[in-house]
Amino acid sequence: MKRQIAYFLVIFIGFLTLLGHFVNYPTLNNFIDNDATQWFDIIAAFAAFLGVINLLQLHLNKIVYKRKNWNYSIVTLGGFFIMIFFGFVFNGSSVSLGAHLKEEGSAFFWMFQNVYLPLGATMFALLAFFVASASYRAFKIRNFEATLLLISGVLLMIGRVPIGQLIPWWMSLEIYICLFFAIIASRIKNKKYLFYSLFITMICLPILIFSLGLNSLYIFKIPEIQEWIMDVPATAGSRAIMIGIALGTIAQSYRIITGRERSILGD
Amino acid sequence: MISIKNIFIKLGQLDRRFIFILIGLSVLIPLIKPNWVNIPIKTTQNTQIVFNELNKLKEGDKVLVSFEYGASTKPEIHPMSVAVLQHLFAKGIKVYTIPLWPEGLMMAKYALEEVIESNLFNLNEHIDYVSLPYKAGGEVIIRGIATDLRTVFTQDVNNILLKEIPMMKGVNRVSDFDFVFDLSAGVPGNAEWVQFACDEHKVPLSSGCTSIMVTDAIPYVESGQIRGILAGMPGAAEYEQMVFKYLNENKDFIIKDAVVLPGKATSRMSAQSIAHVVMVIFIILGNISYYILRKRIKNA
Repeated sequence: MKRQIAYFLVIFIGFLTLLGHFVNYPTLNNFIDNDATQWFDIIAAFAAFLGVINLLQLHLNKIVYKRKNWNYSIVTLGGFFIMIFFGFVFNGSSVSLGAHLKEEGSAFFWMFQNVYLPLGATMFALLAFFVASASYRAFKIRNFEATLLLISGVLLMIGRVPIGQLIPWWMSLEIYICLFFAIIASRIKNKKYLFYSLFITMICLPILIFSLGLNSLYIFKIPEIQEWIMDVPATAGSRAIMIGIALGTIAQSYRIITGRERSILGD
Repeated sequence: MISIKNIFIKLGQLDRRFIFILIGLSVLIPLIKPNWVNIPIKTTQNTQIVFNELNKLKEGDKVLVSFEYGASTKPEIHPMSVAVLQHLFAKGIKVYTIPLWPEGLMMAKYALEEVIESNLFNLNEHIDYVSLPYKAGGEVIIRGIATDLRTVFTQDVNNILLKEIPMMKGVNRVSDFDFVFDLSAGVPGNAEWVQFACDEHKVPLSSGCTSIMVTDAIPYVESGQIRGILAGMPGAAEYEQMVFKYLNENKDFIIKDAVVLPGKATSRMSAQSIAHVVMVIFIILGNISYYILRKRIKNA
Protein backbone atom coordinates (compact mmCIF):
# COMPACT_ATOMS: atom_id res chain seq x y z
CA MET A 1 0.00 0.00 0.00
CA LYS A 2 2.86 2.36 0.95
CA ARG A 3 4.45 1.83 -2.43
CA GLN A 4 1.18 2.24 -4.30
CA ILE A 5 0.62 5.63 -2.66
CA ALA A 6 4.13 6.66 -3.69
CA TYR A 7 3.50 5.53 -7.28
CA PHE A 8 0.16 7.30 -7.32
CA LEU A 9 1.81 10.54 -6.16
CA VAL A 10 4.57 10.30 -8.79
CA ILE A 11 2.09 9.55 -11.58
CA PHE A 12 -0.42 12.21 -10.48
CA ILE A 13 2.14 15.02 -10.05
CA GLY A 14 3.93 13.95 -13.24
CA PHE A 15 0.78 14.20 -15.34
CA LEU A 16 -0.27 17.42 -13.62
CA THR A 17 3.07 19.06 -14.40
CA LEU A 18 2.94 17.87 -17.97
CA LEU A 19 -0.62 19.16 -18.39
CA GLY A 20 0.45 22.58 -17.12
CA HIS A 21 2.53 23.05 -20.25
CA PHE A 22 -0.35 22.21 -22.62
CA VAL A 23 -3.52 23.42 -20.88
CA ASN A 24 -4.09 27.14 -20.38
CA TYR A 25 -5.86 27.02 -17.02
CA PRO A 26 -4.67 29.73 -14.54
CA THR A 27 -4.99 27.60 -11.38
CA LEU A 28 -2.98 24.80 -12.95
CA ASN A 29 -0.43 27.19 -14.44
CA ASN A 30 -0.06 28.89 -11.08
CA PHE A 31 0.57 25.54 -9.42
CA ILE A 32 3.26 24.59 -11.93
CA ASP A 33 4.98 27.98 -11.98
CA ASN A 34 4.77 28.94 -8.31
CA ASP A 35 3.56 26.26 -5.89
CA ALA A 36 5.57 23.44 -7.42
CA THR A 37 8.66 25.66 -7.27
CA GLN A 38 8.08 26.26 -3.56
CA TRP A 39 7.58 22.54 -3.00
CA PHE A 40 10.86 21.85 -4.73
CA ASP A 41 12.63 24.37 -2.46
CA ILE A 42 11.27 22.62 0.64
CA ILE A 43 12.21 19.16 -0.66
CA ALA A 44 15.68 20.46 -1.65
CA ALA A 45 16.20 21.69 1.93
CA PHE A 46 15.39 18.20 3.25
CA ALA A 47 17.67 16.70 0.62
CA ALA A 48 20.52 18.77 2.07
CA PHE A 49 19.90 17.15 5.48
CA LEU A 50 19.85 13.73 3.85
CA GLY A 51 23.16 14.57 2.18
CA VAL A 52 24.68 15.51 5.53
CA ILE A 53 23.47 12.30 7.17
CA ASN A 54 24.77 10.27 4.24
CA LEU A 55 28.17 11.95 4.40
CA LEU A 56 28.45 11.29 8.13
CA GLN A 57 27.34 7.66 7.81
CA LEU A 58 29.71 6.93 4.94
CA HIS A 59 32.81 8.44 6.47
CA LEU A 60 32.16 7.31 10.05
CA ASN A 61 31.72 3.75 8.77
CA LYS A 62 34.97 4.04 6.87
CA ILE A 63 36.83 5.23 9.96
CA VAL A 64 35.26 2.71 12.36
CA TYR A 65 35.98 -0.29 10.10
CA LYS A 66 39.31 1.19 8.88
CA ARG A 67 38.40 0.68 5.23
CA LYS A 68 40.75 1.70 2.40
CA ASN A 69 41.92 5.35 2.70
CA TRP A 70 40.02 5.72 5.98
CA ASN A 71 42.45 8.41 7.16
CA TYR A 72 41.22 10.79 4.44
CA SER A 73 37.73 10.46 5.92
CA ILE A 74 39.05 12.01 9.14
CA VAL A 75 40.13 15.06 7.12
CA THR A 76 36.73 15.20 5.37
CA LEU A 77 34.81 15.03 8.65
CA GLY A 78 37.24 17.46 10.29
CA GLY A 79 36.64 20.02 7.52
CA PHE A 80 32.90 19.40 7.70
CA PHE A 81 32.68 19.96 11.47
CA ILE A 82 34.97 23.01 11.40
CA MET A 83 32.78 24.70 8.78
CA ILE A 84 29.61 23.71 10.71
CA PHE A 85 31.14 25.24 13.83
CA PHE A 86 32.05 28.49 12.07
CA GLY A 87 28.74 28.57 10.21
CA PHE A 88 26.32 27.83 13.05
CA VAL A 89 28.12 28.35 16.37
CA PHE A 90 31.13 30.65 16.28
CA ASN A 91 30.68 34.03 14.61
CA GLY A 92 33.84 36.11 15.15
CA SER A 93 32.30 39.32 13.78
CA SER A 94 29.93 42.02 15.00
CA VAL A 95 27.03 41.06 12.70
CA SER A 96 24.39 38.46 13.55
CA LEU A 97 24.65 34.78 12.69
CA GLY A 98 23.62 34.16 9.10
CA ALA A 99 24.73 37.56 7.87
CA HIS A 100 28.25 36.70 9.10
CA LEU A 101 28.71 34.22 6.24
CA LYS A 102 29.64 37.02 3.85
CA GLU A 103 30.97 39.45 6.44
CA GLU A 104 34.68 40.12 6.20
CA GLY A 105 36.19 39.49 9.62
CA SER A 106 33.96 36.53 10.48
CA ALA A 107 35.67 33.18 11.02
CA PHE A 108 33.57 31.56 8.28
CA PHE A 109 34.54 34.23 5.74
CA TRP A 110 38.20 33.86 6.73
CA MET A 111 38.03 30.11 6.19
CA PHE A 112 36.33 30.56 2.82
CA GLN A 113 38.77 33.16 1.58
CA ASN A 114 41.99 31.70 2.93
CA VAL A 115 41.39 27.95 2.91
CA TYR A 116 38.53 26.95 0.63
CA LEU A 117 39.25 29.39 -2.21
CA PRO A 118 42.97 28.58 -2.63
CA LEU A 119 42.29 24.85 -2.24
CA GLY A 120 39.58 24.94 -4.91
CA ALA A 121 41.80 26.85 -7.32
CA THR A 122 44.70 24.47 -6.60
CA MET A 123 42.61 21.41 -7.39
CA PHE A 124 41.56 22.91 -10.72
CA ALA A 125 45.08 24.12 -11.51
CA LEU A 126 46.41 20.58 -11.04
CA LEU A 127 44.41 19.66 -14.14
CA ALA A 128 46.95 21.52 -16.30
CA PHE A 129 49.71 19.17 -15.14
CA PHE A 130 47.66 16.02 -15.55
CA VAL A 131 46.37 17.08 -18.98
CA ALA A 132 49.95 17.81 -20.09
CA SER A 133 51.20 14.43 -18.90
CA ALA A 134 48.15 12.57 -20.26
CA SER A 135 48.23 14.23 -23.68
CA TYR A 136 51.96 13.50 -23.94
CA ARG A 137 51.29 9.81 -23.40
CA ALA A 138 47.85 9.34 -24.96
CA PHE A 139 47.83 11.60 -28.06
CA LYS A 140 49.51 9.06 -30.36
CA ILE A 141 49.04 8.44 -34.08
CA ARG A 142 47.77 4.87 -33.55
CA ASN A 143 44.98 4.81 -36.12
CA PHE A 144 42.85 7.14 -38.25
CA GLU A 145 40.50 8.17 -35.41
CA ALA A 146 43.37 8.81 -33.00
CA THR A 147 45.14 10.88 -35.66
CA LEU A 148 41.99 12.94 -36.22
CA LEU A 149 41.71 13.53 -32.46
CA LEU A 150 45.38 14.47 -32.24
CA ILE A 151 45.24 16.95 -35.13
CA SER A 152 42.05 18.65 -33.94
CA GLY A 153 43.35 18.69 -30.36
CA VAL A 154 46.60 20.36 -31.37
CA LEU A 155 44.82 22.86 -33.65
CA LEU A 156 42.43 23.77 -30.84
CA MET A 157 45.22 24.07 -28.30
CA ILE A 158 47.17 26.44 -30.52
CA GLY A 159 44.17 28.22 -32.07
CA ARG A 160 42.50 29.07 -28.75
CA VAL A 161 45.45 31.07 -27.43
CA PRO A 162 46.88 34.35 -28.79
CA ILE A 163 50.11 32.66 -29.87
CA GLY A 164 48.11 30.87 -32.59
CA GLN A 165 47.47 34.21 -34.27
CA LEU A 166 51.21 34.76 -34.62
CA ILE A 167 51.75 31.61 -36.66
CA PRO A 168 52.28 32.72 -40.29
CA TRP A 169 50.43 31.14 -43.20
CA TRP A 170 53.52 29.39 -44.55
CA MET A 171 54.15 27.63 -41.25
CA SER A 172 50.59 26.29 -41.27
CA LEU A 173 51.18 25.09 -44.83
CA GLU A 174 54.42 23.35 -43.81
CA ILE A 175 52.54 21.63 -40.98
CA TYR A 176 49.91 20.38 -43.45
CA ILE A 177 52.61 19.11 -45.81
CA CYS A 178 54.35 17.27 -42.95
CA LEU A 179 51.05 15.76 -41.81
CA PHE A 180 50.24 14.66 -45.36
CA PHE A 181 53.62 12.97 -45.75
CA ALA A 182 53.33 11.40 -42.28
CA ILE A 183 50.05 9.80 -43.38
CA ILE A 184 51.38 8.49 -46.73
CA ALA A 185 54.86 7.55 -45.38
CA SER A 186 53.92 3.94 -44.66
CA ARG A 187 52.79 3.41 -48.28
CA ILE A 188 56.05 4.58 -49.88
CA LYS A 189 58.82 2.04 -49.56
CA ASN A 190 61.68 4.13 -50.98
CA LYS A 191 62.44 6.46 -48.05
CA LYS A 192 64.97 8.49 -50.06
CA TYR A 193 62.28 9.25 -52.64
CA LEU A 194 59.88 10.17 -49.84
CA PHE A 195 62.39 12.52 -48.23
CA TYR A 196 63.19 14.32 -51.52
CA SER A 197 59.47 14.67 -52.32
CA LEU A 198 58.85 16.15 -48.88
CA PHE A 199 61.78 18.55 -49.22
CA ILE A 200 60.75 19.77 -52.68
CA THR A 201 57.08 20.13 -51.68
CA MET A 202 58.02 22.10 -48.57
CA ILE A 203 59.94 24.59 -50.72
CA CYS A 204 57.86 24.74 -53.90
CA LEU A 205 54.28 24.64 -52.56
CA PRO A 206 54.58 27.80 -50.38
CA ILE A 207 56.08 29.68 -53.36
CA LEU A 208 53.27 28.44 -55.61
CA ILE A 209 50.58 29.34 -53.06
CA PHE A 210 52.10 32.79 -52.57
CA SER A 211 52.41 33.49 -56.30
CA LEU A 212 48.76 32.50 -56.82
CA GLY A 213 47.74 34.83 -53.98
CA LEU A 214 46.09 31.99 -52.02
CA ASN A 215 48.05 32.64 -48.84
CA SER A 216 45.20 34.61 -47.27
CA LEU A 217 42.85 31.62 -47.32
CA TYR A 218 41.26 30.70 -43.96
CA ILE A 219 42.77 27.22 -44.12
CA PHE A 220 46.20 28.71 -43.44
CA LYS A 221 45.06 30.56 -40.31
CA ILE A 222 45.04 28.28 -37.27
CA PRO A 223 42.59 30.41 -35.19
CA GLU A 224 40.13 30.33 -38.11
CA ILE A 225 40.45 26.55 -38.40
CA GLN A 226 39.93 26.29 -34.65
CA GLU A 227 36.74 28.34 -34.95
CA TRP A 228 35.57 26.15 -37.83
CA ILE A 229 36.18 23.01 -35.75
CA MET A 230 34.15 24.52 -32.90
CA ASP A 231 31.38 25.83 -35.15
CA VAL A 232 30.89 22.83 -37.44
CA PRO A 233 32.05 19.38 -36.24
CA ALA A 234 31.92 20.21 -32.51
CA THR A 235 28.46 21.81 -32.84
CA ALA A 236 27.19 18.86 -34.86
CA GLY A 237 28.50 16.43 -32.24
CA SER A 238 27.06 18.49 -29.37
CA ARG A 239 23.67 18.73 -31.09
CA ALA A 240 23.61 14.98 -31.65
CA ILE A 241 24.36 14.40 -27.96
CA MET A 242 21.74 16.98 -26.91
CA ILE A 243 19.06 15.41 -29.09
CA GLY A 244 20.00 11.97 -27.76
CA ILE A 245 19.75 13.17 -24.16
CA ALA A 246 16.41 14.89 -24.86
CA LEU A 247 14.94 11.74 -26.41
CA GLY A 248 16.27 9.69 -23.49
CA THR A 249 14.74 12.14 -21.02
CA ILE A 250 11.35 11.94 -22.77
CA ALA A 251 11.45 8.14 -22.76
CA GLN A 252 12.53 7.97 -19.11
CA SER A 253 9.95 10.58 -18.04
CA TYR A 254 7.24 8.64 -19.88
CA ARG A 255 8.29 5.47 -18.06
CA ILE A 256 8.22 7.28 -14.70
CA ILE A 257 4.83 8.97 -15.08
CA THR A 258 3.21 5.79 -16.38
CA GLY A 259 4.58 3.81 -13.44
CA ARG A 260 6.84 1.55 -15.52
CA GLU A 261 10.10 2.81 -14.05
CA ARG A 262 10.32 1.45 -10.51
CA SER A 263 13.96 2.18 -9.73
CA ILE A 264 13.00 5.67 -8.48
CA LEU A 265 11.53 4.06 -5.35
CA GLY A 266 14.51 1.81 -4.84
CA ASP A 267 13.06 -1.34 -6.51
CA MET B 1 71.39 8.39 -36.76
CA ILE B 2 70.83 5.67 -34.17
CA SER B 3 71.95 8.00 -31.38
CA ILE B 4 69.48 10.66 -32.55
CA LYS B 5 66.73 8.05 -32.54
CA ASN B 6 67.74 7.00 -29.03
CA ILE B 7 67.53 10.62 -27.87
CA PHE B 8 64.01 10.86 -29.30
CA ILE B 9 63.03 7.60 -27.60
CA LYS B 10 64.34 8.92 -24.28
CA LEU B 11 62.50 12.20 -24.80
CA GLY B 12 59.35 10.22 -25.45
CA GLN B 13 59.72 8.37 -22.16
CA LEU B 14 60.35 11.38 -19.97
CA ASP B 15 59.44 11.08 -16.33
CA ARG B 16 56.14 12.79 -15.63
CA ARG B 17 57.74 14.90 -12.87
CA PHE B 18 59.99 16.48 -15.49
CA ILE B 19 56.89 17.38 -17.55
CA PHE B 20 55.26 18.84 -14.45
CA ILE B 21 58.31 21.04 -13.78
CA LEU B 22 58.36 22.32 -17.38
CA ILE B 23 54.62 23.04 -17.38
CA GLY B 24 54.97 24.73 -13.98
CA LEU B 25 57.77 26.96 -15.25
CA SER B 26 55.97 27.76 -18.51
CA VAL B 27 53.00 28.99 -16.45
CA LEU B 28 54.94 30.61 -13.64
CA ILE B 29 57.45 32.68 -15.62
CA PRO B 30 54.88 34.59 -17.75
CA LEU B 31 52.77 35.17 -14.62
CA ILE B 32 55.70 36.57 -12.64
CA LYS B 33 57.17 38.51 -15.56
CA PRO B 34 54.27 39.33 -17.91
CA ASN B 35 56.40 41.83 -19.83
CA TRP B 36 58.75 39.09 -21.02
CA VAL B 37 56.03 37.48 -23.09
CA ASN B 38 53.72 40.05 -24.59
CA ILE B 39 51.44 38.44 -27.16
CA PRO B 40 48.78 40.61 -28.83
CA ILE B 41 45.20 39.38 -28.32
CA LYS B 42 42.85 39.35 -31.29
CA THR B 43 39.09 39.50 -30.70
CA THR B 44 37.08 36.53 -31.87
CA GLN B 45 33.61 36.80 -33.37
CA ASN B 46 31.72 35.46 -30.34
CA THR B 47 33.38 37.90 -27.96
CA GLN B 48 32.60 40.75 -30.34
CA ILE B 49 28.92 39.69 -30.41
CA VAL B 50 28.77 39.73 -26.57
CA PHE B 51 30.34 43.18 -26.50
CA ASN B 52 27.99 44.53 -29.17
CA GLU B 53 24.92 43.10 -27.43
CA LEU B 54 25.80 44.67 -24.07
CA ASN B 55 26.84 47.87 -25.80
CA LYS B 56 23.36 48.19 -27.34
CA LEU B 57 21.84 48.59 -23.85
CA LYS B 58 20.92 52.07 -22.70
CA GLU B 59 21.27 53.95 -19.43
CA GLY B 60 18.79 52.68 -16.83
CA ASP B 61 18.29 49.31 -18.52
CA LYS B 62 18.07 46.33 -16.18
CA VAL B 63 20.51 43.44 -16.48
CA LEU B 64 20.38 40.24 -14.47
CA VAL B 65 23.86 38.78 -13.94
CA SER B 66 23.84 35.17 -12.83
CA PHE B 67 26.83 33.73 -10.95
CA GLU B 68 27.28 29.99 -11.38
CA TYR B 69 30.87 29.33 -10.57
CA GLY B 70 32.98 28.69 -7.52
CA ALA B 71 36.46 28.71 -6.11
CA SER B 72 37.83 26.14 -8.56
CA THR B 73 36.81 28.05 -11.67
CA LYS B 74 37.31 31.53 -10.24
CA PRO B 75 40.62 32.18 -12.06
CA GLU B 76 38.93 31.50 -15.40
CA ILE B 77 35.52 33.14 -14.96
CA HIS B 78 36.12 35.90 -12.45
CA PRO B 79 38.04 38.24 -14.81
CA MET B 80 35.10 38.18 -17.23
CA SER B 81 32.65 38.87 -14.35
CA VAL B 82 34.59 41.98 -13.43
CA ALA B 83 34.91 43.11 -17.07
CA VAL B 84 31.17 42.59 -17.71
CA LEU B 85 30.22 44.49 -14.54
CA GLN B 86 32.59 47.34 -15.47
CA HIS B 87 31.06 47.52 -18.94
CA LEU B 88 27.52 47.61 -17.51
CA PHE B 89 28.28 50.23 -14.87
CA ALA B 90 30.12 52.33 -17.46
CA LYS B 91 26.84 52.56 -19.36
CA GLY B 92 24.73 53.45 -16.30
CA ILE B 93 22.91 50.13 -16.36
CA LYS B 94 21.16 48.72 -13.29
CA VAL B 95 22.69 45.40 -12.28
CA TYR B 96 20.91 42.59 -10.42
CA THR B 97 23.18 39.75 -9.31
CA ILE B 98 21.91 36.30 -8.50
CA PRO B 99 23.93 33.25 -7.41
CA LEU B 100 22.66 29.85 -8.49
CA TRP B 101 25.58 28.05 -6.90
CA PRO B 102 26.23 28.30 -3.14
CA GLU B 103 29.69 29.73 -3.85
CA GLY B 104 28.22 32.09 -6.44
CA LEU B 105 27.11 34.37 -3.61
CA MET B 106 30.72 34.97 -2.62
CA MET B 107 31.83 35.26 -6.24
CA ALA B 108 29.23 37.97 -6.87
CA LYS B 109 30.37 39.76 -3.72
CA TYR B 110 34.04 39.54 -4.79
CA ALA B 111 33.27 40.77 -8.31
CA LEU B 112 31.22 43.73 -7.07
CA GLU B 113 33.87 44.58 -4.48
CA GLU B 114 36.58 44.49 -7.13
CA VAL B 115 34.60 46.90 -9.31
CA ILE B 116 33.85 49.21 -6.35
CA GLU B 117 37.48 49.15 -5.19
CA SER B 118 38.69 50.07 -8.68
CA ASN B 119 37.31 53.54 -7.82
CA LEU B 120 36.07 54.00 -11.37
CA PHE B 121 32.40 54.39 -10.54
CA ASN B 122 30.31 56.02 -7.89
CA LEU B 123 28.21 52.98 -7.02
CA ASN B 124 25.52 52.67 -4.39
CA GLU B 125 23.80 49.48 -3.35
CA HIS B 126 20.06 49.42 -4.10
CA ILE B 127 20.51 52.33 -6.53
CA ASP B 128 23.01 50.92 -9.00
CA TYR B 129 22.98 47.26 -8.05
CA VAL B 130 21.07 44.69 -6.02
CA SER B 131 22.42 41.36 -4.83
CA LEU B 132 19.89 38.58 -4.51
CA PRO B 133 20.62 35.69 -2.11
CA TYR B 134 21.38 32.07 -2.94
CA LYS B 135 18.47 29.65 -3.15
CA ALA B 136 18.84 25.93 -3.65
CA GLY B 137 17.10 24.45 -6.66
CA GLY B 138 19.08 25.39 -9.76
CA GLU B 139 16.80 25.20 -12.78
CA VAL B 140 13.70 25.42 -10.55
CA ILE B 141 14.93 28.78 -9.31
CA ILE B 142 15.49 29.87 -12.92
CA ARG B 143 11.93 28.78 -13.67
CA GLY B 144 10.75 30.75 -10.63
CA ILE B 145 12.57 33.89 -11.81
CA ALA B 146 11.01 33.41 -15.23
CA THR B 147 7.45 33.38 -13.91
CA ASP B 148 7.40 35.17 -10.56
CA LEU B 149 10.63 36.35 -8.99
CA ARG B 150 8.85 37.66 -5.89
CA THR B 151 7.67 34.20 -4.81
CA VAL B 152 11.23 32.91 -4.94
CA PHE B 153 12.94 35.94 -3.41
CA THR B 154 11.39 38.15 -0.77
CA GLN B 155 14.54 39.92 0.39
CA ASP B 156 18.01 40.73 -0.89
CA VAL B 157 21.32 39.42 0.38
CA ASN B 158 21.31 41.95 3.27
CA ASN B 159 17.84 40.81 4.39
CA ILE B 160 16.22 44.01 3.06
CA LEU B 161 12.72 43.34 1.74
CA LEU B 162 12.60 43.58 -2.05
CA LYS B 163 9.48 45.77 -1.87
CA GLU B 164 11.55 48.35 0.05
CA ILE B 165 14.27 48.52 -2.62
CA PRO B 166 13.55 51.22 -5.23
CA MET B 167 15.56 49.38 -7.90
CA MET B 168 13.24 46.40 -7.59
CA LYS B 169 10.14 48.42 -8.54
CA GLY B 170 8.58 46.82 -11.60
CA VAL B 171 10.91 43.85 -11.48
CA ASN B 172 8.74 40.78 -11.04
CA ARG B 173 9.87 38.26 -13.62
CA VAL B 174 12.58 37.63 -16.16
CA SER B 175 10.75 39.54 -18.89
CA ASP B 176 11.17 42.71 -16.80
CA PHE B 177 14.91 42.54 -17.42
CA ASP B 178 16.40 43.91 -20.62
CA PHE B 179 19.20 41.37 -20.68
CA VAL B 180 20.46 38.33 -18.81
CA PHE B 181 24.16 37.61 -18.55
CA ASP B 182 25.17 34.20 -17.31
CA LEU B 183 28.59 33.42 -15.83
CA SER B 184 28.70 29.70 -15.68
CA ALA B 185 31.01 26.80 -14.91
CA GLY B 186 28.55 23.91 -14.92
CA VAL B 187 24.95 23.02 -14.15
CA PRO B 188 22.76 25.03 -13.74
CA GLY B 189 24.32 27.24 -16.37
CA ASN B 190 23.66 28.87 -19.70
CA ALA B 191 21.71 25.90 -21.12
CA GLU B 192 19.24 26.06 -18.22
CA TRP B 193 18.77 29.82 -18.69
CA VAL B 194 17.92 29.15 -22.36
CA GLN B 195 15.56 26.26 -21.61
CA PHE B 196 13.72 27.55 -18.55
CA ALA B 197 13.65 31.34 -18.92
CA CYS B 198 15.20 33.41 -21.67
CA ASP B 199 14.10 31.55 -24.80
CA GLU B 200 10.47 31.21 -23.73
CA HIS B 201 10.19 34.81 -22.46
CA LYS B 202 12.24 36.33 -25.31
CA VAL B 203 14.86 37.92 -23.09
CA PRO B 204 18.29 38.29 -24.73
CA LEU B 205 20.96 36.17 -23.08
CA SER B 206 24.74 36.11 -23.32
CA SER B 207 27.13 33.93 -21.44
CA GLY B 208 30.67 33.61 -20.21
CA CYS B 209 31.83 30.11 -19.36
CA THR B 210 34.83 27.86 -18.88
CA SER B 211 36.66 26.64 -22.00
CA ILE B 212 35.53 23.09 -21.32
CA MET B 213 31.85 24.13 -21.44
CA VAL B 214 32.05 25.88 -24.80
CA THR B 215 31.28 22.78 -26.89
CA ASP B 216 28.05 22.26 -24.91
CA ALA B 217 27.01 25.90 -25.29
CA ILE B 218 27.98 26.38 -28.95
CA PRO B 219 24.72 24.88 -30.38
CA TYR B 220 22.76 27.56 -28.50
CA VAL B 221 25.15 30.25 -29.74
CA GLU B 222 24.84 29.05 -33.34
CA SER B 223 21.04 29.09 -33.08
CA GLY B 224 21.08 32.63 -31.63
CA GLN B 225 19.54 31.55 -28.31
CA ILE B 226 22.75 32.69 -26.62
CA ARG B 227 24.05 35.91 -28.13
CA GLY B 228 27.78 35.35 -28.30
CA ILE B 229 29.90 33.65 -25.70
CA LEU B 230 33.01 34.49 -23.71
CA ALA B 231 34.95 31.26 -23.97
CA GLY B 232 37.22 30.68 -20.99
CA MET B 233 40.31 32.69 -20.25
CA PRO B 234 40.88 33.74 -23.91
CA GLY B 235 37.32 35.10 -24.07
CA ALA B 236 37.84 36.94 -20.78
CA ALA B 237 41.11 38.47 -22.03
CA GLU B 238 39.50 39.59 -25.29
CA TYR B 239 36.55 41.12 -23.46
CA GLU B 240 38.82 42.83 -20.93
CA GLN B 241 40.70 44.52 -23.74
CA MET B 242 37.50 45.74 -25.37
CA VAL B 243 36.17 47.05 -22.05
CA PHE B 244 39.54 48.68 -21.29
CA LYS B 245 39.31 50.56 -24.59
CA TYR B 246 35.64 51.41 -23.99
CA LEU B 247 36.30 52.76 -20.47
CA ASN B 248 39.09 54.96 -21.78
CA GLU B 249 36.89 56.37 -24.54
CA ASN B 250 33.54 56.70 -22.68
CA LYS B 251 33.80 58.43 -19.34
CA ASP B 252 30.17 59.50 -18.78
CA PHE B 253 29.72 57.34 -15.68
CA ILE B 254 33.36 57.18 -14.63
CA ILE B 255 34.69 59.26 -11.74
CA LYS B 256 36.81 62.16 -12.96
CA ASP B 257 40.58 61.44 -13.08
CA ALA B 258 40.02 57.76 -12.24
CA VAL B 259 42.67 55.49 -13.74
CA VAL B 260 41.49 52.54 -15.83
CA LEU B 261 43.69 49.50 -15.33
CA PRO B 262 43.85 46.44 -17.61
CA GLY B 263 42.28 43.25 -16.26
CA LYS B 264 43.88 40.09 -14.94
CA ALA B 265 43.00 37.68 -17.75
CA THR B 266 45.15 39.57 -20.28
CA SER B 267 48.35 38.86 -18.34
CA ARG B 268 47.28 35.26 -17.72
CA MET B 269 46.90 34.61 -21.46
CA SER B 270 50.68 34.64 -22.00
CA ALA B 271 51.00 31.87 -19.41
CA GLN B 272 48.27 29.84 -21.12
CA SER B 273 49.85 30.40 -24.56
CA ILE B 274 53.27 29.19 -23.45
CA ALA B 275 51.78 26.22 -21.57
CA HIS B 276 49.83 25.17 -24.69
CA VAL B 277 52.95 25.41 -26.86
CA VAL B 278 54.92 23.29 -24.37
CA MET B 279 52.13 20.69 -24.41
CA VAL B 280 52.14 20.58 -28.22
CA ILE B 281 55.93 20.14 -28.23
CA PHE B 282 55.55 17.23 -25.81
CA ILE B 283 52.85 15.68 -28.00
CA ILE B 284 55.14 15.93 -31.07
CA LEU B 285 58.07 14.41 -29.15
CA GLY B 286 55.85 11.66 -27.81
CA ASN B 287 54.72 10.81 -31.35
CA ILE B 288 58.23 10.75 -32.83
CA SER B 289 59.31 8.42 -30.04
CA TYR B 290 56.22 6.25 -30.56
CA TYR B 291 56.91 6.07 -34.32
CA ILE B 292 60.56 5.03 -33.84
CA LEU B 293 59.68 2.43 -31.21
CA ARG B 294 56.86 0.98 -33.32
CA LYS B 295 59.22 0.68 -36.29
CA ARG B 296 61.86 -1.05 -34.15
CA ILE B 297 59.31 -3.52 -32.82
CA LYS B 298 58.11 -4.21 -36.38
CA ASN B 299 61.67 -4.81 -37.63
CA ALA B 300 62.49 -7.04 -34.69
